[in-house]
Amino acid sequence: MPVVLTVDPRSGVPIYLQVIEQIKRSVALGVLGAGEQLPTVKQLALDLTINPNTVAKAYRELERDGVIETAPGRGSFVRTNGVAETTKAAATDVVRDVIEGAVREAKSMGLGADDIRTLASAAIDRWFREDA
Amino acid sequence: MSTITIKNLRKTYGPYVAVDDFSVEIPQGCVFGLLGPNGAGKTTTFKCMLDLARPTAGTVLYDGVPLVPQTFERIAYVPERSVLYDWMTVEEHVEMQRRAFRGFSPKIAYDLLAQFSIEPRKKARALSKGMRTAVMVALAIGRQADTLILDEPTSGLDPINQRHVLNLIINESARGASVIFSSHQIGQVERAAERIAVIDRGRLVLEGAIDDLKADRKIVEGIFPSEQYALNGIAGDPRIGRVDRSGRIVRLLTIDGAPEFVAMLESLGATGVRVVDLNLEDIFLYAVSPADATADVVEGARP
Repeated sequence: MPVVLTVDPRSGVPIYLQVIEQIKRSVALGVLGAGEQLPTVKQLALDLTINPNTVAKAYRELERDGVIETAPGRGSFVRTNGVAETTKAAATDVVRDVIEGAVREAKSMGLGADDIRTLASAAIDRWFREDA
Repeated sequence: MSTITIKNLRKTYGPYVAVDDFSVEIPQGCVFGLLGPNGAGKTTTFKCMLDLARPTAGTVLYDGVPLVPQTFERIAYVPERSVLYDWMTVEEHVEMQRRAFRGFSPKIAYDLLAQFSIEPRKKARALSKGMRTAVMVALAIGRQADTLILDEPTSGLDPINQRHVLNLIINESARGASVIFSSHQIGQVERAAERIAVIDRGRLVLEGAIDDLKADRKIVEGIFPSEQYALNGIAGDPRIGRVDRSGRIVRLLTIDGAPEFVAMLESLGATGVRVVDLNLEDIFLYAVSPADATADVVEGARP
């Protein structure tokens, strides 16, 4: 199982949220492919030296978000139905959090909505130039 | 497998109150971290849980039943100070444990001793402090108990063996055992525990799931245009743990509802309003200190 996660327990971000974010990122990047099996709760807990109930909570939320599915007795797998949607949804979730944080910070520093839109457009233009 | 209920526990030694009205519930399969400054009452609480100290008042229940000798069979305890006999070898301790406890598995204990690189034929007196801790942990895990009470189970161990002990705790919890442990290394509790209680001067000052505490407890910081500003009742809000003012900067410790306080500060004219995450050490320090221990975080604190 090529799941390479790292959590920082000393961060102020709850550990289960770190696990969720990283698994979504792995799915979005295709590191975890459709139908691929995730480590068991116990295995991931031991690999990362974190509490098993914390891992279980992350898996439950990932299941609710439609990223993984759990077959009783067999384990947890990246969803196979609508892979493209799952991948895109996972990417959207990760990026939404990043953009939320950036906009919040920009606003708190006194930038207006138009200033932020201008910055966002410029960034999009720069990063998507070659694709055009 | 058991749920542990500690209800209104009180323990006094003469005029000294070691534990005062302490209540927590530890669900089955939970890893529960007990944090507190030195002398806060952690060890006394553990001793009361085991009836090694008779509570002055209050009760400790295992699955709703007070401790009886049969329950004791299902509890493994690692005391803060090693209770190994200096003149005995490690394997003699294993043998003693086998005779004392029916469910004890010498194989598990020997496997763990090997993982800790402890030679079973060594006399206890020849072991370092950390190795003594490791032997105690190996003997406790060998019990395959329903409940583990571990008082500083990583003290004296090197980082590799500390990590190993944490994984043993995780493994015990994964098979359904309840584990309550204390450690001065908050990072270890942050990793292995699901819930924590903070005890300070014998009293419970904070309890909850670590992830919930981190999600709810934030510092909301804002900068006002001048040093004269009103907080319009924010300071009296029950969701505010404390307010620290330093010149034009205000820092609120929120117990809940950080985004609302962001909006409130902004509506009062503050700029640069941001939410700062707190790790368990920050949360612990705020819980046990009115203003002093966190002075570096909240300079000029005036609650």
